[in-house]
Amino acid sequence: MEVADRAIGLLLSVISLSIFTYYTFWVIILPFVDSEHFVHKYFLPQEYAILIPVYAGVVLICFLSVFIGYVMLKSKKKKA
Amino acid sequence: MKHIIKIMALLVALSAFWISLLQTSVLPESYTWLLPLYFIVSLGSYGLLMVGVGLMRFPTCPQEAILLQEDIVEAKGFLKGKGVDVGSD
Repeated sequence: MEVADRAIGLLLSVISLSIFTYYTFWVIILPFVDSEHFVHKYFLPQEYAILIPVYAGVVLICFLSVFIGYVMLKSKKKKA
Repeated sequence: MKHIIKIMALLVALSAFWISLLQTSVLPESYTWLLPLYFIVSLGSYGLLMVGVGLMRFPTCPQEAILLQEDIVEAKGFLKGKGVDVGSD
């Protein structure tokens, strides 16, 4: 059991570090690089750097509200 | 009530700082627009990192687990002798 726990912990840490470095590169370092450098191939256009976190945040808020509404409806139906 | 006033004051201070950064143009404008979003994303990834590190370092105490199982067996035998139903086995 603890091997599975440590594997999941390691996976989460690796995912978080990679998201952080990719986003830092995207937003902070890339505007300083010349537009013909090869590294621009690995990064999407800069508009996506704004769209993807905003879209993920909206999806998260929608999921949370749907979940809360579902739990409230279920509890109300059980009481009535 | 006081706690939420502290949180709102912190938020107002942060927004004032951000707007002042926009006005005085210490950094280029495109950076200043993206700065709050960058901080939110980095805060989320920091939380995820803390969860992952905590999962990796979770202590399991195997000796305590064995002692606990022995305690459970002893308690079940005692209660069964007294006539209490101890559930599924």
